[in-house]
Order: sequence, then C-alpha cells, then structure tokens
Amino acid sequence: MDSNLARRLAAIVGERHVLTGIECSPYVLEGRTPEAVVFPGAREEVAALLVLAGEDGMPVTPWGGGTRMSVGLPPARPGLVLSLKRLDRLIEHEPGDLTATAEAGLTLGAFQEALGRRGQWLSLDPPNPREGTLGGIVASNASGPRRHLYGTMRDLLIGLTVILADGSIVRGGGKVVKNVAGYDLPKLVIGSFGTLGVVVEATFKLRPRPDTDRLVLARFERVKDAGAAVRALMASDLIPSALDLVDTEALRALDPGGREGAALLLGFDGIAEQVEWQCAELPKILGAGARVDTRVLDGAERDALWQAVGALPRAALPGVTGVMKWGVLPSQVAEVIDSGGDVARRHGLTAAFTAHAGMGIVTAILGSSSGGSTPGGSSGGSPGGGAAVAATSVAAALGDWRALVHAAGGHAMLEWAPLAVKERVPVWDPPGAPQRIMARLKAELDPRGTLNPGRFVGGI
Amino acid sequence: MPPLTDARKQALRREMETLLGKGAVLSDPEELLSYESDGLTLFRALADFVVFPQSAEHVSALVKLAQREQIPFVARGAGTGLSGGCLPAEGGLVISLMRMNRVLEVDYANQIAVVEPGLVNLHLSWAVGPQGFYYAPDPSSQQACTIGGNIANNSGGPHTLKYGVTTNHVLGLEVVLPDGELIWIGGKTRDPQGYDLTGLFVGSEGTFGIATKIVVRLMKKPQAVKTVLAVFDEVDQASEAVSAIIGRGLVPAAMEMIDQLTIQAVEDAFGCGYPRDAAAALLIEVDGLAAGMDEQAERISQACREAGARDVRVARDTAERELLWKGRKSAFGAYGRISPAYMVMDGVIPRTKLPYVLRRVNEIVAAHGLRVGNVFHAGDGNLHPNLLYDPREPGAEARVVAAGGEILKVCAEVGGSISGEHGIGLEKADYMPLIFSEADLDCMYRLRRAFNPTGLCNPGKIFPSRKACGEAGIAYRPHPIEEKGLAQRF
Repeated sequence: MDSNLARRLAAIVGERHVLTGIECSPYVLEGRTPEAVVFPGAREEVAALLVLAGEDGMPVTPWGGGTRMSVGLPPARPGLVLSLKRLDRLIEHEPGDLTATAEAGLTLGAFQEALGRRGQWLSLDPPNPREGTLGGIVASNASGPRRHLYGTMRDLLIGLTVILADGSIVRGGGKVVKNVAGYDLPKLVIGSFGTLGVVVEATFKLRPRPDTDRLVLARFERVKDAGAAVRALMASDLIPSALDLVDTEALRALDPGGREGAALLLGFDGIAEQVEWQCAELPKILGAGARVDTRVLDGAERDALWQAVGALPRAALPGVTGVMKWGVLPSQVAEVIDSGGDVARRHGLTAAFTAHAGMGIVTAILGSSSGGSTPGGSSGGSPGGGAAVAATSVAAALGDWRALVHAAGGHAMLEWAPLAVKERVPVWDPPGAPQRIMARLKAELDPRGTLNPGRFVGGI
Repeated sequence: MPPLTDARKQALRREMETLLGKGAVLSDPEELLSYESDGLTLFRALADFVVFPQSAEHVSALVKLAQREQIPFVARGAGTGLSGGCLPAEGGLVISLMRMNRVLEVDYANQIAVVEPGLVNLHLSWAVGPQGFYYAPDPSSQQACTIGGNIANNSGGPHTLKYGVTTNHVLGLEVVLPDGELIWIGGKTRDPQGYDLTGLFVGSEGTFGIATKIVVRLMKKPQAVKTVLAVFDEVDQASEAVSAIIGRGLVPAAMEMIDQLTIQAVEDAFGCGYPRDAAAALLIEVDGLAAGMDEQAERISQACREAGARDVRVARDTAERELLWKGRKSAFGAYGRISPAYMVMDGVIPRTKLPYVLRRVNEIVAAHGLRVGNVFHAGDGNLHPNLLYDPREPGAEARVVAAGGEILKVCAEVGGSISGEHGIGLEKADYMPLIFSEADLDCMYRLRRAFNPTGLCNPGKIFPSRKACGEAGIAYRPHPIEEKGLAQRF
C-alpha cells in the first residue's frame, strides 16, 4: 500500500491508530489482507475516513468484535478495515426510562455489566458477548435463546446514529421507547451487514433484570418427541423466555456423559412464584409418551450451559465443515432436523443441530466423514478445520440442505464454511422480487459501493 | 400537473369500472365528500376518484393506471387516522381497502395469521378469540381502524408498553409497490434474508406502496389479568409512581394516566367509578401467569402509595375492570360533551420527564386561553394532551395549533419525539426539523425515492414544506397540495 494513503489516514485518526503491512494480519478476511486498519476515535473521524475511501474508490470493511466477519460473501478486496473499537463509551443509562445509549464499539458484555449494576439488562443474548460489539450485533442481527420471549434487535433498538458512505451523520429513531416520526431507519440498518452505513451509536430499550432466572434441561428419546413437546409447550399457558432444541450430537457436546436422544433447553424467568409454578407445571406438559428427565439449573451452572449452547456451531462436532442457518415454521423444526440428518448421512457426513424451536430458527452444523480432523483457528473466530473432507462433497450436502429447507417453504443461509466450499455454494438464497428495491436502497445510500461491496444478499 | 379534463375523467371512470365492476368507483363530489378528511378534520382535500378494489391484482392495476396517467394515489382504510396521512392530494385517486377485509389464514400451531388490509383490528381478535388467541396492538380506535392503516402508521395502543407496537407483530407483507409490481417482503418465517423491508415499510405512512396481505403474530390470551386504580391528589405524584413501578422491576401491560378534567368529563358522561376530586388517576394493568399475580399487584400498590397515592384499589372482578377501562377508552367521547371541539395531540417524552412536561403543557395551554384534558400512555411516555376549544370563536383554531406546536417543541427539547403513534402525515410534516437534521431528512428522502421514485404514492406527507424548510435551512421540495391550494390548514 502506498505511504501516501497511510499519511492521509494518519492525518484523520492519528498515526498511532493506523495499522499497515504485516500489522494487518489479525484482520485478514477469507485469506485477503486489507490495505490498512484504522481506529477512529470520533464519529467525525469515521465520516472523514468514509469520504476519503469514497474518493479513492477503496472498499471499506467495518469491524466490531470480529466475531461474525465470516458471514456473507468473501470480499474481493477488504480495502480499509474500519474498527469501531475505540468508540466504546456508555453514553447514557437512565434506569427510570428503561433506555440506554452507547457507542457501537462497546462490547455487549461490558454493556450488560454496566446495566446490571442498576438492575437492568438488554434482553438479548447472542453468543460471544465478551467480544461481540453493540454495532456488530446490530449490523449482523445476532440473537440468542431468549429471543423466544424478548425478540431480536428489531424489537429492542429504538434509535441509532449511522455514518453514510458520503460522510453524512444520520440519526434514525430516537431515545424514547415509542416513536413513529419518520421512516424506521434502525430497522433498515439491522442485519444490513455494514452495507448501508457505519453504526456509531445506538439507543436500546431495556428490561429490569428478573428476580429469578432458571434453565431447565429436558431430555427426550428422539428429536421428534422433543418437537412434540415444543408444540405442547407453545399451546400451554407457560411463558418460557427460551425454548431451544438440540439433537443427539449437539447434546453430546453439551453433556459429554450424556446418552442418545434430544433435549429441550428452557428458560424461565420472572418473580420467584412465576418461575416455580412453571417448573412444577412443566413435567405435566412434557410428560405424555416421552421419556423425560429434567434438570433445573441456576446461577453459574445455568450461565455456563447457555454459553455452551451459543458455542455449539464451533464445538458440536470435532471437524466442522459448514454451518447453515435455516428459518422454517416452528412446527417444522423437528422434521427438518431429522431430514437434514438423513441428508448428511447420505453424503457420508456427520451433522448436529440446535434450534430456537419456538421461532423456527435452526442452526445446522455439518461435520466431516471421519470425525477425526482437528478444528483449526481461522480469522474472525469462525469454526475451524474440516480440510480432510473434499469441498465438493460438503458443497453437495449443503446444497441438498438448502433444497430441503426451500421445499419446506423456509430460507437457508450459509453462515460459515471454508472458502473452498463458499466458492461452490451460494451464501445467500436468491433474493427474488425484493432484490430490485434492495439494490435501489443500496444505490441511494452508498452509490459508489464503498461499504462491504459484494458481501450481502444478491451481491449487494 | 394540469387537472383532469371532464372527458378524461369520464374515460378513466369507465376504465376503472370495467376493472372493478359497477359500484366500486365514486366520482360525484357529494360522494367524495366523505373521503375528504380523516380523523383530523383540520385538513380537507377532495379526490377525483375513490375506488374499492377487491384483490391485490385490482390494487396493482389501479396503481399502474395512476402512474400511466401521472395522477397521485393514496391508500385508505377506515379513515380514523389523526394526522391527515390518508388525505388525497391534488385530486387523484383514493384507493379504499375496505372491501379487502378477510382473515385469509390462521395457523394456531405457529401463532400467525394472514389477513387483508381492510380487516378491522378488533375483528381479528374476535376471529381468533375462541381458540384463546388475540392480536396485541390495540389502538383506541380498534373497533373501527383497519390493520392496513395500522401498518401505515405503526399504530400502538395502551398495551404496547409490554407487547410492543404494530411493527413488533408483523412478519411479512404482500405489497403493491408504487410502480404497480406485486411482491412479498418478509413472510411467515423469522429472520428473512436481505434488508428488513417489512420493518421499513411498517410506519412509512403509505409512501412506500400499499400492503395487500399481512402476516401477523397472534398472542396467547394471558392466564390472568389484574387492574389497579391509583388515585392521586397531585399530578406529580402520579408521574413519580410511574417511574417507581418501573424501578421495582415491573413491566405492566399498560399504565395509563387520566387527569382531573378528563375524570370529571368521564364521570359526568358515564359514571365509571373514578373519584371526581382526584388530580390524577393511574390505571395500571398486569397480565400473564396467575402465579405471582397478587405479588405484582402488591408491588404496584406499594409503589403508588409510596409516591403519595391517597387510594389504591384492585378491580375485584371483570365487571369492575371493564368499567375502569371504559372510563379510559371513552375519554374522547366525554370531551365531546363538554367542548364543541378538541384536538388530540400526540408526543413522546422520556418517562422520567413526565412531571416537568405536564407542568409545561398546562402553562402553554393556559397562556393560549385554552383548556386541556390529559389521558395518555404514561408507561411509555406517550402524551395525548387534548386541547378543548370552540371553533366558532374567532382565532380559536389558530391558538390550538400554536399551543400544539409549543407542546411538540417541549417534547423535542427533553429528548422525545413529535409522534408516538399518530404519525406525521400532513399535520406534523413541518415539525420534523424539531427532531431531525437536514442530513436525517435527506436520508429519509433517499429511502422514499428508492421505493417511490415518481413521488405519486401519497405525496405531500412526512416531509416538511417550504416554510419549515426555510427555517431549518432544508432544501425545499414541493408540496403538491399546497401548490394547488387544494388543502389548507383551516
């Protein structure tokens, strides 16, 4: 990279906050090295960097905690990696308003800690809270088990400040929990994977921390039985905060001493009486037909298990070769998992599944044939390894998974795979008719295609 | 754009009748009169046609026709909106969705329903009620307003404190885009890929197209409900109780405040059991599991007493609960009995600013020689000051509008918003610069251009007009009805 560029970047953020050459190696993305990494310390610096990149025709890759950088199509050229790490202040937390505003580079873990000191939390529990940043979670629409009751980012983000490619600093939404003034820019930015603007600040709706919070692990003989229990639960009066389902392989990773079978992981929170009543009621609802044994967890044990569930995409199998995220109807979850297992076996591969069953969101993890290859570290905290298995057979299995989910009326996204597999399997589903509007939105907000070009749906 | 000639109008009428059938096209001025305003009668504008499609294909054909003829068009539901959002512009076409009012599909196992836009909000809850379900967003007009209209305005209601507003309950939409193309955005499954066009469409006030099918979430009816009435001698005490309840880790389903003027009007009209001499009352509802319900009610009562409530009572039975809610929901009717006219305001503030803002509202209203009744969603800081006035009194409407503007300024100053659920429409377009910068508005303008490049789909809404732009230094974009003198503020 030319030293002239380094000088111009340093003029904006200061020399100490520019990395070049070999220093960029932690930011290598899908084997491609960025030209520079910058760490702006103010929103105006972010704006100036975007203007500079636009003028030079250099792509910009916004970077939060780096935990989801492997999602999406590989960049042709990462260009300038723009890290939000230094923008990490908690700006305002007003407990009486149940709202808080923070900068995008603050990690979710640090945010929750600060909120927790005053008895509140952001009711969102995606994996990797210690590394994942608020901006990254917004941009990638990450979520976790408690979305069952508390929803996803679209239900919690009430306002944001985003820097557009032309350097304009734009606010959408506001700081109040109810607001219909103007278009809902926060909704557009959530899940846009940094293709429309760089989030620098966000305001969230909070909840009081529950008095009591328990995790119940209920085992079943088969995925099918767990699926039937999900339906029974959804039809019951119980109000679980989480309703996750794991198959045999995933369960084995969570509980190495465990037997064959499947399990539900249920969250119950609220005041003690509510939680106790639900835990007592649960066996009656789950009971019929299924051989069930349940364990109720609290405190550190509970947190550790939820954390392990979040880590399943990397840990469920010894050699992960691909991870897909499916969206189907809740009533279809058990069936697509069983069929998905059959598909993997037909290709001579192992598979594991975990699902937010009440929401119809399935994470499908494809393993290797031998199960012997070692997961290796790779950039962006992505799952590793699987090099022993031919990319072609992995790609064929993933293609069949996608066809299976499409036949059920759902959608499938390749969340992680080695580059060789990504070259053979589309990351995203074909976007269909909405593509035209999405492309126009992109053209309006980022006409030069500066931000994460080519990473998103439909090649946006 | 020149107005349509009579001959052209005749030809268009015939063309649309061929498409929709007889009785589905109105063009006589007397018939059009019913469609010249919505619930906000300060604004009026006459359309060239009001048409009643019965299918998405009809809507698509009408939109294509409007684009071909370059005439503006706007979708209309029940016309209960309160910001002039569905007013026609420059003549043009009003597309009424009232004949598309079916529940198309209900999937109880997956807790979703597919409905048409003209379906009345409450009718959906009626349809799924026998199976133990309901549709959560409950605007006060829910007996009349349509789900399509709720989509346009991202409508709320008293119970949105716990359950969220319309956008939190919509998974997907079939829409006719402003160029007539019929597409699905979102669907029945969660986390669809691509930009969240559904989230962007909800609340776009009819400027991004017309929804023709709507996938909504259904909620299970709660096992138990408890309603608490807390009575205060000072408004500040009631405001403080709101924060105290939140501070105790409770999120009630609803938390509504009713002031003295409103209590008296309601009691005169309906006798719902509110004490006439109270300065303010809080109507608080918790719902959910039966277990723990008494404890929640107790925590609420305690918080209210500590904030200075002189009386706290829990409704003993359904009849008493319904009577208390009747008082809340019939406030508008009661105003009608004590004042020839009133204007419903809608603003949002951080709830901790309630005591200050309510004092400011009273000062502003008094300075303009008006009366105000407050009945609002205190839990989420969504104010509804109702300015009472007599339109026959010269200058009264101007004073109402001036006071309303000052109240919105106060909302903006404390970090709030100029609309919590009624929308911007025509009414508040000029106030947008109070909370949005030039860059913010320019970004919104770009979003509109992506969906609605010709601007014919519900023109003149949301974006500020010449005067407000001048004040805020924002580039003026013409306001079609204003140009033609077809709509005026009074």
